[in-house]
Amino acid sequence: MKKMSKTRLIVSLLAVLLLYAGAWYAETAMGANNMLITVLKKGAVYALIAVSMNLLNGFTGLFSLGQAGFMLVGAYVYAVFTIPLKRHAAVYQYYNGGIIQFELPLLVALILGGVVAAILAALVGLPVLRLKSDYLAIATLGFAEIIRAVVQWDSLGPITNGSNLLKTYPTFSNTKILGTTVLFPFIVSGVCIGLILLLINSTYGRAFKAIRDDEVAAEAMGINLFKHKELAFVISCFFAGIGGALLAMFQGTVQANSFKSAMTYDILLMVVIGGMGSVSGSVIASFLYIACSEWWLRFLDNEQVINGFQVPLLRSGFRMVVFSVVIMIVVLFFRRGIMGDRELWDLRLPKRKKEGGALK
Amino acid sequence: MSKNVLRLENITMQFGGVVAINDLSMRIDEGEIVALIGPNGAGKTTAFNCVTGVYEPTNGAVYFHDKIIAAAHPTGKMKRMYAGPDPDKFKNLHVQLTPDQITKMGIARTFQNIRLFKSQTAFENVLIATHLRRTSNVFSAMFRLNWKEEKRNRERTMELLRIVGLDDVAGEKATSLPYGKQRRLEIARALATEPSLLLLDEPAAGMNPQETLELGQFIQQIKKDFGLTVFVIEHHMDLVMGISDRIYVIEFGKQIAEGTPEEIQNNQAVIDAYLGGNDE
Amino acid sequence: MFDRILPYILAGISVGGQYALIAVGYTMVYGILRLINFAHGDIFTAAGFFMVYLTASLPMAVSIPLVIVLTVALGFLLERAAYKPLRTAPRMSVMISAIGASYLLQNLMWYITGGLAKQYPVLPWLGDNVQIFSASTKVVTIVTPILTILLVIALVMLIRYTKIGMAMRAVSHDFETSQLMGIRINSVISMTFVIGSGLAAVGSMLYFTNYSTVTPTVGAMPGLKAFVAAVFGGIGSIPGAVIGAFIIGICENLIKAAGYTAFSDAFTFALLIVVLLFKPTGLFGEKTAEKV
Repeated sequence: MKKMSKTRLIVSLLAVLLLYAGAWYAETAMGANNMLITVLKKGAVYALIAVSMNLLNGFTGLFSLGQAGFMLVGAYVYAVFTIPLKRHAAVYQYYNGGIIQFELPLLVALILGGVVAAILAALVGLPVLRLKSDYLAIATLGFAEIIRAVVQWDSLGPITNGSNLLKTYPTFSNTKILGTTVLFPFIVSGVCIGLILLLINSTYGRAFKAIRDDEVAAEAMGINLFKHKELAFVISCFFAGIGGALLAMFQGTVQANSFKSAMTYDILLMVVIGGMGSVSGSVIASFLYIACSEWWLRFLDNEQVINGFQVPLLRSGFRMVVFSVVIMIVVLFFRRGIMGDRELWDLRLPKRKKEGGALK
Repeated sequence: MSKNVLRLENITMQFGGVVAINDLSMRIDEGEIVALIGPNGAGKTTAFNCVTGVYEPTNGAVYFHDKIIAAAHPTGKMKRMYAGPDPDKFKNLHVQLTPDQITKMGIARTFQNIRLFKSQTAFENVLIATHLRRTSNVFSAMFRLNWKEEKRNRERTMELLRIVGLDDVAGEKATSLPYGKQRRLEIARALATEPSLLLLDEPAAGMNPQETLELGQFIQQIKKDFGLTVFVIEHHMDLVMGISDRIYVIEFGKQIAEGTPEEIQNNQAVIDAYLGGNDE
Repeated sequence: MFDRILPYILAGISVGGQYALIAVGYTMVYGILRLINFAHGDIFTAAGFFMVYLTASLPMAVSIPLVIVLTVALGFLLERAAYKPLRTAPRMSVMISAIGASYLLQNLMWYITGGLAKQYPVLPWLGDNVQIFSASTKVVTIVTPILTILLVIALVMLIRYTKIGMAMRAVSHDFETSQLMGIRINSVISMTFVIGSGLAAVGSMLYFTNYSTVTPTVGAMPGLKAFVAAVFGGIGSIPGAVIGAFIIGICENLIKAAGYTAFSDAFTFALLIVVLLFKPTGLFGEKTAEKV
């Protein structure tokens, strides 16, 4: 169902455009180093990653915990192929300048990051997607750890720089659009999320949801479980790879060691807070999550003295405690998250009783 | 002589030491309504699961339009434990199609303990079942290049809902519907896969006599309209006797009788099996 | 050759025993709640910190039992706060709650300790050096496998011969029915967490005697590996978890002996995936089929 009417589609697109214009205006007014702009950029990157994870966990019902591994692949592919040749000697200082002696255009490298992650996912999916819920979770988590170890392997150093940093590749400040850094992540992330939305609302998306709801019934309705799971997994990992590449651009440096399972957990929590099975929920939650952890709750980490009175508890680390308590409250008492399984554009519209109405 | 649609040959299904079906052979001809009856736990649903590919039989073969869809013989550990007959008859055959392949060939089913897609509306539940006849691939579907097919499927879905009398609740969550409507929705969903053989697993469970009567007429109607062959498991004897062309009776996994409703009603073995009152 | 490998094998057996003590907690909880208790590794870390802080002001003889009591209390509290409210929720929600709880515990420990690595106190006798053939090692290396096996035997006896053990078996077999039979499942579940946390506390004493510093995230990896061990042995099976833990501990150290230290973690997961593919229920797990 969920056949969007033309007006709703136009209103939604306009709202997105307005949002982009707002972001653009904010940056021109406040400068690229403002906290708000940083949060917007990082939030946009994580929004894409969270939506890609939601496609698997929320829409297809596959509890995968391998997201960080595929982000790592995307980030590394992007970084390795875009480091300017003249910087190779400095970056790959322990590996004689590395063995990759060419560079790719930025967008090509970005997409290649997604493609390599997707190919890897296709291979990983062959064995692990036959496993059920918890086993799938632990196997994908394991694969992410294996990827991390392999990338840091010394013998691959000439390509991956081993356990050393990759740096000096183009970042968001090299991809200014209309003079701002914020639009590039917004546009890439927005296009990717748009593609995922199109997929979810297609006949394939319906098949994914059927698998989530009842595997036995889905199979009895002629849906090939493995093929569709593999498809969801590959597509999700493709976008996780792109997201990883964007994250690399955001950070300016990238190191395999930071793509730990804790990163996957962060993304999972965003998905849960936004609502499993809601794309707009994931997007909203990503921005909120990043804003809270990077910005709004920062004051909790600083000791404060008000009128000679030392505010208790406030010191380094308190922010994360408060943050995790909030998360636990959401997980325990607001299990459906912000949006449940609805979308922003489905809200506040009179509930249509008849599907027939839409057809005539 | 009419063509046979489904043929079971010496099907035995054994779980560990428990023999759920023992050497069941049956055939269903085109255009027939055939019922499989038997006391609770006789192995009726297990037989369905062997036909639809949910279980792999321990021994025996299943043919659909004379094509093998499942064939197996006891192997490995089962070789020693096997308690059924003819372990060597199907020695050279091993075929196991998956449920989705079997559905694609034209067998659709409903479930005894209703299995609708919980988070979806009635409309979406039926629409999902049109997925298997798609001609689109993931890209054409994503960019709506298949809009013609999509439109056709939506119209057909609505049509099916109208046929089962659920067009007025198309937008409701499937699980919020009353029990009887959920059963009819399952039938609509099965029909959306464009089957030639429809398997109904206790379609009248939980229905009152009036509803059961209507269901019987409904089954005969869709059989005619869609050119179906119907294979039904049922406990309501009124329904079974009213609509079936032929009936198979099993008890403890073993076939004890086969014949027309009249023959079955007068069969001593069947009367004995049901004696003790379980004749609802 | 033998001289070169011996220390690694000894270390493997020792670390295997420590994994085993953690793995038992995972496997028991999974057996009863069908839940991967992601926070179990953090309980193990917390036990390490309890020891650090308690020994700062109390004598060892008081600290050791107190550490066990506090860890058990923490495990009990974790279950009551994070899992009990979700008893009827879908399994995915409970797993997410476990991840959230793990996150909370880690952040809490970071806050309290200031994020700095703390020196683990030297436990008397366990930290002494001994000579085995050509290898010099700590007493703890010898004590770990022995203590592990004794504790596990005691646990198996408990499960087999006591009333609460019988209740545990019943609940793990069929949650709903045992509830209807009048078993107080909440006390059974609490008991599971109590036992699991107690063993994790013992495991942490042995583990940190070898590794000497405690940080808030130090438990994550041994926790995951212990879970892998539990899956490897067939989740829900206690002897399986113990055997799986020893196999993983030894293999991991042999990989280190072969010079691939960076791959010792990756290897554990590779082993897991291979096992899951060929024997999805682990070495000693039971097969369950879904009813259609």
